[in-house]
Amino acid sequence: MRLPRLVVLVVLLVVVAAGTWYVLSNRPAHTTETLGIYYTKLDGNSLAQMRVTMRPPEPGESAAEHLHNTLRYAAVQAVAGPPNEIQAIRFPPGTQVLGASLDGSTATIDLSKQVDQQAGGTFGENGEFKALVYTMTAIRGINAVQILVDGSRLETLPGGHIELDQPLHRSDF
Amino acid sequence: MSWISRSTVRISKLVALLLLAVAAALLPLPARADSSIAALYGGRTLRFTHVSTQSGTAAIGVNDPGLATLLRATGAVLTWRPGERYVLVTNSVPVVISFAIGDRRYDVGPIALQANTAPFLIGDEAYLPMRELLRSLDLALHQDGSVAVLQPQLSSLDVRQQGERVTLLAHGGAVLHARIVQQTPATITYAFDGVGTTLTGSRPPGGAVRSIAIASSGTVRAPVTTVTISLSPGAIAQAPANPSGHDVLLTIDGPVSANAGPAAPSYAAGASPTPEPEPGAQTAGGLAAVTGVTVQQSGDGIDVAIAVSGDASYEWHRLREPDNRFWVDIKNSQMQGAPIEQNEASPLLSLRVRQVDPTTVRIALSLAGPKDMTLAPSATGLAITIGAQDVSDEPRSGTGTVGSVIAAAAAGPAVTPAPLDETASSGTGSTDSSGWKFGPRSNYLANNPRLIVIDPGHGGSDIGTMHGGVSEAQLTLDMAKRLRDLLVAQGWQVKMTRETDVDVYQPNDSARDELQARVDVANKVGARMFVSIHVNGFINSGPYGTTTYISKPDDVALARAIERHLAADGTKDDGIVKSHLYVTLHTKMPAALVETAFLSNPSDYALLTSAAWRQKVAQEIADGIGQYAREYPVTGQPSQ
Repeated sequence: MRLPRLVVLVVLLVVVAAGTWYVLSNRPAHTTETLGIYYTKLDGNSLAQMRVTMRPPEPGESAAEHLHNTLRYAAVQAVAGPPNEIQAIRFPPGTQVLGASLDGSTATIDLSKQVDQQAGGTFGENGEFKALVYTMTAIRGINAVQILVDGSRLETLPGGHIELDQPLHRSDF
Repeated sequence: MSWISRSTVRISKLVALLLLAVAAALLPLPARADSSIAALYGGRTLRFTHVSTQSGTAAIGVNDPGLATLLRATGAVLTWRPGERYVLVTNSVPVVISFAIGDRRYDVGPIALQANTAPFLIGDEAYLPMRELLRSLDLALHQDGSVAVLQPQLSSLDVRQQGERVTLLAHGGAVLHARIVQQTPATITYAFDGVGTTLTGSRPPGGAVRSIAIASSGTVRAPVTTVTISLSPGAIAQAPANPSGHDVLLTIDGPVSANAGPAAPSYAAGASPTPEPEPGAQTAGGLAAVTGVTVQQSGDGIDVAIAVSGDASYEWHRLREPDNRFWVDIKNSQMQGAPIEQNEASPLLSLRVRQVDPTTVRIALSLAGPKDMTLAPSATGLAITIGAQDVSDEPRSGTGTVGSVIAAAAAGPAVTPAPLDETASSGTGSTDSSGWKFGPRSNYLANNPRLIVIDPGHGGSDIGTMHGGVSEAQLTLDMAKRLRDLLVAQGWQVKMTRETDVDVYQPNDSARDELQARVDVANKVGARMFVSIHVNGFINSGPYGTTTYISKPDDVALARAIERHLAADGTKDDGIVKSHLYVTLHTKMPAALVETAFLSNPSDYALLTSAAWRQKVAQEIADGIGQYAREYPVTGQPSQ
């Protein structure tokens, strides 16, 4: 009687240790998502796309949190644009994504004030916002993008041409 | 207590101790900033004070003042706020590096890597693995005796070949300057001072280049990276160019290509209208001619249009995953122009077009995966569509013909769209030749069908874009006045939103108030048309050309008529672009905003500052308005 009980305890300990090791070392595999990041070519109208990988959701990361992270990542990628060797319409230097949030199917992207530093033409504004809108609306469930500048909803950029106080859709471009 | 009970107690204690040990190993004590690092960078000492070392691996806080200085100096941007899981760093390439709190994985663009330690939090500050962060900024931390040195790295040297021409694009963690240290007819050596590298070795030769060797020399504090290029006979090294501060472009031309084109190849995936076969392009030997290949984004996919003039057969092949190459041979054809070799955006990775034998042109595509593809003859040659979806069990080869019979059958409304009928009843929508989809047109009726409102863009406290002492507001007013005079001479009534250099609403008003005031001018009088004249500008001098912007279905026909005439204005015609522009969106009548040319581009600047050119543009817009009025007469409106 004595020996079996001791054996049972040891076996139990081994089983618990093995189970712990298995759980820690075999996290569920996730498929890698890819995101399509758009940029506008120098003809001012046509788009091209680059693909970037999105890290899979971590255990415990809710779907809402993952979507938020995806929005933020895609917005930062869109504002960064493609490598410099590729000619593209680019956001003004220093433009940052201050925040990204979601309300229904509308993503709100808050850009830093540097986005004001346009060179005065329709060309840059149109190309930048078109690329951002196409990038964000490529994410499942998003069909509009509200632009904020330094936390505020603007009617247009200073001296600008595009109406920004309403969400932008792909059909606007 | 029996010995069994005592044994049980002992074992329980042992288990408890083991579990405590496991817990201690799995749950390390909260980290804290515990050290600082001083490092030489660009001749000055940067002090990093938010540094924490865990298991011998240094991590740096995102709020570190030294890091902020370093990010500014390297042209990088760090995006993070407390509560966010991801810390995103955009470097000078630019590539976005994604770190996540608690995860050793970090992503550099499309590449997933493992850091020695996972980012973590100390209070409200995220700490990133220092070595990996510096590497992503193209910097290496070296020791020079007791002094730490942050050494900028030559991080990449991309070699591309286009015919005989070879280009090398160098990128580094500092503003790069290529200094020529040795040049003979057979070799040229460039030195990058202050830059180290781990790229030592050689690159495969090709075209005008026999070999490329990279070497590192100098000291830790004053490193030098040299790139020695062995040239083919007759090859010519062009002067190094700096397309951006952290990039240097080295171009080697073959003896033939030296005078054949611009010094640098176009890396642009630029404007690419569907190529038209050139009339008479068929070769003298009776061979068909491949006159152009263009690539265009189409939704999530890519369209490749191959322009073929003359009759030819083709044969295509596709390899199996993981070798995702595809090629089509156009038989009985000759290529017109230089071979093409360029990288593209996914799902198409690269495109090569070349003459593989005297009567065969090969178009080779490298794909991002086993993508859904279609290939079919078109009115202009061959059309390849590459989808974003991966597929399996696709056909691996096929044949077909292109030529006059196919072209005649394929040509149709999609190629030559019927003119839009402005008087068509609402509900039909409209589609222009570039495939825009619009909703139904309005039933707008002008109060005064003889009245046109012309809007000279900007003015007063808003000068618009400005270069070389010339403002957009001046130029738009000048062109608007010229246009007004021409239209009045044709019998139109014209109202200008401004006649002088003033704000239409009031000085220093908001952009919306100003734009709404211009819209109000046109809407209140019920004008037949609204034409806004602008001058474009950009943050660099590259873009040039004329663009006509619209927003509403009603705008299409007017814009098309104007654009058709502006296409001959002497600069590039960028066609009609739909956008969410305030004035075209909120005017009730057909409207167009014409960005006549780029003040930021030297050749366009020369045009814009020429009174003769401005008169020409005004005439072309007037001609377009006249054509529109003739094509779409309004009841009671005499044909112009």
